[in-house]
Amino acid sequence: MKKRYLYLLLLPGLLFLTVFMIIPIFLTIGTTFINDHGFSIQGYLDFFKDRYFVEILLTTLRVSLFTTILCILLGFPAAYYISKLKQRKKAIMLLLTIFPLLTSPVVRSFSWMVIIGKNGVVNKVLLSIGLIEKPLDILYTPTAIIIGLVHLFLPLIIVTLVGVMENIETDLLKAAESLGASRLAVFSKVVIPLSVPGLVIGSILVFVGSFTAYTTPALLGGKQRVISTFLYQNAITLNEWQVASIVATIMIAVTVLIISIMNGLAKKLNPKG
Amino acid sequence: MQEKNRGLGLFTLLVFLFLLGPLLIISVTSFEGGNILKFPPEELSLRWYENIFHVEMFLVAFKTSILVSLGGNLLALLLGVPAAYALSRVEFKGKSVINAVFVSPILVPGIVLGFAFLRYIVGTYQLPIYAALFVGHTVIMLPFIIRVISSSLSNFDFSIEEAAESLGASKLGTFFTVVLPNIKSGILAAVMIAFLESFNNVDISVYMTGPGVSTFPIQMLTYVENYFDPTISAISVLLMFITAFFMFMVERLMGLSYFTKR
Amino acid sequence: MALFTLQDISVAYNKQNILKDFNLEIEKGKLVSLLGPSGCGKTTTLRLIAGFLKANEGKFLFKDKDYTKVPVNKRNFGFVFQNYALFPHLSIFDNIAFGLRLRKNSKAEIEKKVMNVLEIVNLKGFEKRYPQELSGGQKQRVAIARALVIEPDILLFDEPLSNLDANLRVNMRVEIRRIQQELGITTVYVSHDQEECFSISDQVAIMNKGVIEQLSDPATIYKYPETKFVADFIGFKNFIDFDERTDTGGKIELSKSGYSFVLDKDARMFNHAGKIGAIRPDDLLIREKGDAGAVQENSLSGRVKVSTYLGRSYQYVVETPIGDFIVNKEMTESYRMGQEIILEIPRNQMVLVD
Repeated sequence: MKKRYLYLLLLPGLLFLTVFMIIPIFLTIGTTFINDHGFSIQGYLDFFKDRYFVEILLTTLRVSLFTTILCILLGFPAAYYISKLKQRKKAIMLLLTIFPLLTSPVVRSFSWMVIIGKNGVVNKVLLSIGLIEKPLDILYTPTAIIIGLVHLFLPLIIVTLVGVMENIETDLLKAAESLGASRLAVFSKVVIPLSVPGLVIGSILVFVGSFTAYTTPALLGGKQRVISTFLYQNAITLNEWQVASIVATIMIAVTVLIISIMNGLAKKLNPKG
Repeated sequence: MQEKNRGLGLFTLLVFLFLLGPLLIISVTSFEGGNILKFPPEELSLRWYENIFHVEMFLVAFKTSILVSLGGNLLALLLGVPAAYALSRVEFKGKSVINAVFVSPILVPGIVLGFAFLRYIVGTYQLPIYAALFVGHTVIMLPFIIRVISSSLSNFDFSIEEAAESLGASKLGTFFTVVLPNIKSGILAAVMIAFLESFNNVDISVYMTGPGVSTFPIQMLTYVENYFDPTISAISVLLMFITAFFMFMVERLMGLSYFTKR
Repeated sequence: MALFTLQDISVAYNKQNILKDFNLEIEKGKLVSLLGPSGCGKTTTLRLIAGFLKANEGKFLFKDKDYTKVPVNKRNFGFVFQNYALFPHLSIFDNIAFGLRLRKNSKAEIEKKVMNVLEIVNLKGFEKRYPQELSGGQKQRVAIARALVIEPDILLFDEPLSNLDANLRVNMRVEIRRIQQELGITTVYVSHDQEECFSISDQVAIMNKGVIEQLSDPATIYKYPETKFVADFIGFKNFIDFDERTDTGGKIELSKSGYSFVLDKDARMFNHAGKIGAIRPDDLLIREKGDAGAVQENSLSGRVKVSTYLGRSYQYVVETPIGDFIVNKEMTESYRMGQEIILEIPRNQMVLVD
């Protein structure tokens, strides 16, 4: 009634996003359901019949899953350690975590080319100590993509988990110990359950991020296609816009699906109800 | 307690070695004196830093990136500041939907967003590549601008607006004399975060290259695909300096909590 | 003559009436308090006067001019906020000068007026500091100075002392009254603290559910509440809903469930038709059974149900045939729980309310 002018302030931004994002996205999705005869899901049927496409989708999902698991396994203990540090040390560690997060993904992927390439650091070290006889082919494989993605998203999960773990009160941990819980028991019975919301959010971010990441697989994957590089290839190199739109729609659908499943899970698992 | 955590501490150290080691290694390779990128370098020199300035495509792309990121930032501010302000002032049914619309550019996969931009903004709307880059980057910066400024406004005591009005200030006058000065650090942080997001963006810019138009990260990608010399290492070091500077500024302005909150 | 008038004002929010057909007139130079529990509409009334809020219906007249649609920034009313609402990015000097600059005062004028008002609120020497460096009481003085310096036609206070500690509250309310009287400025003061309102006001309006239940000077309200709500709000904790009331000569005869009572009639209550008797816990008398001084009139036999130690006194809940009564008694007279006693209602201590 009295603050009508405030709604006007939302308008320019909404209009801009509608014209330049929402309409293009909906048109992209919409065209995949239309062929010469009107509504059709033929495009999707063809897509899922083609083993090459399905293989790429499955590889991408597998890579994302491995990346997420590795990020949790590496990130969870590290985050716990950081969250227990004193204020100053914690701040420094967090800055060191955030720094790679803000660094260009091109730089970060490139650094792994230097390390795991045929003449890279890893191969040189392994050859010189005689552990291997000829250089390992790590670069341009799914493994390389996973390494690059873990490097890309590990900071994200650490930062998210530290944010949650900071709020677990030290008194609570002491109380658990005083009740006779071993440190491992404290970790598994108190720390892990209370970190679940952060873990779920972090996992969503990592999984969705890995599923849709472009730069890292483009640089480290070589000929190994994942869904994002496949989309780009179809859009630019092959000019297959219909295929590209279908891939784009599948990516949106998977993203939405994962976010909603994980959100539902988070609500169920949240110890605070 | 300290004693018992030694194992965990060692583990964390290794995790950070994994995170920061690669960045350290390319920094070292940037000082290579020879022609081939390797670690450790054979002899030390700064010649590859000098080389950056001899590669025409980097200079042009750097200018493009700066223009697109700064221009997009300005437009995103003009659209985002009023929106963030309004969102923090009113409650209405469907506000969560509006909020969702404003953050949606983060939720849609970048590589998909870029494709939609290419197909409709460049294709259907017939915008020139440069303009499309500008529009696209504004879209992806908007959520960051709105999020950071909203969080800055959430600590803002709106009764001081009423105080200013009761003393005779108009609505617009109140915004500029009272609201803006009190959220200026939030705005500065928002600008920096959005700038980094835009400047480092690959997923959208990769679709928007044309004759003589391309952003800096895309030129880096192209260069890496064709040459494997320490120029990129040298560029990486420069970019890391910029990143570090921005990070410390944001930390100063907003505190670490900006990064840990989800 | 009234300086300003609220005429048949209605304010609704989410289809719920906060004020309904609300009327209020305030005279020039007076300090009027709006007192009531939270949600009674007192702050809404104040914000309406300030112009922060628009009424759905009704008029706001200021000096007989229609001010209903005049925006806040054109009203020249000073507003003092509960949380002070100082501008954190401005020094104390600039905070106070804010309104003067908008009024295009010259630099010398601003300097003079700010210094003058700082002296009034006893904050000389603080002009270069920033709000964060001040204590709560000092902040509130700055807020008052900022509102005063524009020479407002009306000064509005929204629970200005509720964020301060108890001692400071007493000092500040004396200050506010002193400043208000020195400058003769018309003031509306909102609070939920009865003592605070009574101690500084010329008139107090007790509000309930968007309606003024009673508007009088503090002493009158204290002695002669007109409605049950007002009586309850200012500490009449015992109520008797009488069946019958008969006014005869200098007395009023009342009855409840066969028990009869007599009250001395007093000028103010003469015209009052209320049938609810209200009496404070301090004003009831307890007598031991068989006490020689016990009178038959206005007495009930009762039993001590609960006894609570209050420090300086005891509080009893006494059970009688017409309901429970709360009685406060000095330490010297104490009664056991379960003790049978006589409860007397003095004939000049009860008031009748609607």
